[in-house]
Amino acid sequence: MFSKIGLAISFSPTGKALVKESLRLQRLYNSQLALIHIGERNSESEELLFKTIDEAGAERDNLEIIWGEGDPATAIIKAGIESGIDLLVAGGLEKEKMLKFYFGSVARKIMREFPASSLILKSPSLEPVPFKKFFITVDYSSRCEKTILAAFQFALKENAEEFTVIRDFYMPGLTAAIGENKTFDELSSLIDQMKYEEEEKMRLYINELNLKGLEIKIVCVYGKEGWEDSNYARTNEADIFVVTGPEKKMRFLDRLFQHEVEFSFESLPANLLIIK
Amino acid sequence: MQLTAEHITTFILSISIMLLFAKVLGELFSKLKQPAIVGEIVAGILLGPTVFGMIAPEMFQWLFPQQGVIKIALDSFTTIAVILLLLISGLDVDLSIVLSQGKKAISTSFMGLVIPFVLGFAASYLFPQLMGIGEDGSKFVFALFMGTALSISALPVIAKTLMDLNIFKTKLGFIIIAAAMLNDLFGWLIFSIILGLIGANSHGFTFEQTLFFTITFVLVVLSIGKKIINRIIPFIQAKISFPGGILNFILILGFLGAAFTEYIGIHAIFGAFIVGIAIGDSVHLKENTRQIIHQFVSNIFAPLFFVSIGLRVNFIANFDIVIVLAILLLAFTGKVVGCGFGAYWSGLNKNESLVVGFGMNSRGAMEIILGILALQAGLIHEEVFVGLVIMALFTSISSAPLMAYFLKEKEKTKFKNLLHERFVIFTYESEKEKVISKLVEVASREVILERETILKEVMLREKYLPTGIANYLAVPHAKIKIKEPFVAIAVNSEGIDFEAADGLPSRIIVLLVTPENNNEIQLQLLSEIAGKFKNKSEVEKLFTLKNSDEFYQALKLMN
Repeated sequence: MFSKIGLAISFSPTGKALVKESLRLQRLYNSQLALIHIGERNSESEELLFKTIDEAGAERDNLEIIWGEGDPATAIIKAGIESGIDLLVAGGLEKEKMLKFYFGSVARKIMREFPASSLILKSPSLEPVPFKKFFITVDYSSRCEKTILAAFQFALKENAEEFTVIRDFYMPGLTAAIGENKTFDELSSLIDQMKYEEEEKMRLYINELNLKGLEIKIVCVYGKEGWEDSNYARTNEADIFVVTGPEKKMRFLDRLFQHEVEFSFESLPANLLIIK
Repeated sequence: MQLTAEHITTFILSISIMLLFAKVLGELFSKLKQPAIVGEIVAGILLGPTVFGMIAPEMFQWLFPQQGVIKIALDSFTTIAVILLLLISGLDVDLSIVLSQGKKAISTSFMGLVIPFVLGFAASYLFPQLMGIGEDGSKFVFALFMGTALSISALPVIAKTLMDLNIFKTKLGFIIIAAAMLNDLFGWLIFSIILGLIGANSHGFTFEQTLFFTITFVLVVLSIGKKIINRIIPFIQAKISFPGGILNFILILGFLGAAFTEYIGIHAIFGAFIVGIAIGDSVHLKENTRQIIHQFVSNIFAPLFFVSIGLRVNFIANFDIVIVLAILLLAFTGKVVGCGFGAYWSGLNKNESLVVGFGMNSRGAMEIILGILALQAGLIHEEVFVGLVIMALFTSISSAPLMAYFLKEKEKTKFKNLLHERFVIFTYESEKEKVISKLVEVASREVILERETILKEVMLREKYLPTGIANYLAVPHAKIKIKEPFVAIAVNSEGIDFEAADGLPSRIIVLLVTPENNNEIQLQLLSEIAGKFKNKSEVEKLFTLKNSDEFYQALKLMN
């Protein structure tokens, strides 16, 4: 599925762990691996990068090293596109400071702008282990079908223990719509009824995908779309949260009035796989 | 001036009578499937100068004096009511929905603002005499107001209509809701600026200063303010008694916002509305909290406000048929054409665009609030106000039936409407492939596709995952290159194993073919079909039927 994996690498403390995680994925998918480093290329920086690669146990001959200059995020995205990477791995903080979130850090820019799939690792490990708990956010679009299939294949490869598909749905203005005469119980039962209908719909949708080899758990939650599913994944300690990449480029306004995947971009509920 | 014991007695008595009449008539109209607000306004008309004032003028003057301390107290109460109404309206606005709906919502909302505004402004400016306005300097501000009044929508009425029509959770419903939210935000912003322009509530600020403060207020509250509120709400909900703590918090913030906008020279309601949006945007605000505050405002403050309208204005003396008809014509044309065109432009088809147009046409309470504030500010006279109230009620009442009419086209894709007796066959097969083949033969006559093409797709789907559901039902299906979905039913004398979840052999086999690349319609139909046959004993009764016609008629009657 992923034939060429790219890793955005800097000289940060997590550099070695990121290389190790990427090597594990490379083996899993039997794919090529390219390391993208943005910064001035000189003997000192080369030595530092090679040291990270060697310490991580990677064979230099088996990987491509791409050097670039300029704004890190822009240069990484450009290099990733030019070298045909179909999964870009990067490390990312669980939560950025408010201003950095609005104006974009490297990881956030990759999530929003990289045209192929990306995997943002929250806390890469020096002893990487397979992801065991997969949580996938679902709508009923054709693009989402691709996401579920990709996540399912990934989960099978990882021998995952849990594969949960989550559908969150929200009805803005619901309280206004039901009027002033409904009791709390009536409101709750209305929401429960909608959840039940969504679950039935989800079951039919998932059945259509004919996924075999792993038990699939279906969950429907009511609340702000994008927030509820990521919150569910967070509270259930997902190893990896899989989302469909936004159809259009996410802009400043999308961050100001967050919706859908922007909630996961703001605060990573787990390692985040964005399928595009 | 001080409130005496007599004043307090009269004040409390008048409030009680207003609440009593509002509740009784509101409930009555709800029972008649009409908005409660219509009943509440009628209550005001009955208690006001139009009826009660005519029958017993002295009693009316004693209970609802038109000047003095009791009048001031009542006005204060209704001012609080209108601030709270806008606060809860803000709570329902979710601007992120506008962004997630994208071009369709923005284009609908934009055209739904611009066209009614231009139409209202031009008609009022060019023909002021039509609205009973002289050719003096005030006609420009009046025309600005009429433009705004015609461009506003009423989110609560729209949401209720969508729910009644069962399209709230559909794409169309989301476009309408999102467009209405954006419409409201800009409508109130423009109205506040108009109030600033005429200096109706000025505290010595120039228009430019007021404009600057207004924009800064909106930007700060909807960016940093919103973030801070989102962090405080979980703390309050967890640490302070529920629902008292969170209710207090919402009211305090709402009143602070209202006080600020009143101070800078625009009306208090705008501050409450913007603060409401910021609070409502929080992912932590519980649905129960929203409902509590809605009930608190809708059952106490809203009725008092709507009754007070009838107390202020004599609806018979100020009824002018020309003004009423002109406002109605402008309102319908502007909104239906504007929103409809915006929706059509963004890619919806003609019928869907008309549904959007009529859906957005509801003006409801928002129009009445706008009208009463304009009346208080001296922007309009009573004849125009009466015209606006009638328009608000008429557009709200007419919205649902007009939408339903144009939704008929969409209803065509419902299972019950796709079904026809000639698509029901009785078969005596013992093999899955043979019964499917017979159904495909029926389908190939209707969907103009090669029999083999359909059969291949259906069998392919069947092969990798059998389609038995439960209660003797199987739904073999496929997505193929067709424009409209198609269903055919085989009632088989013997049960065939479609590997249903309950292990029962399938005797009712529903063939479903839907357009490729349309997951939504397939899911909708699959879930409708499964729902139709959910009751096992009802399904068993179907086996006693003898022919297609009987089966079709019985199926139509099944819930």
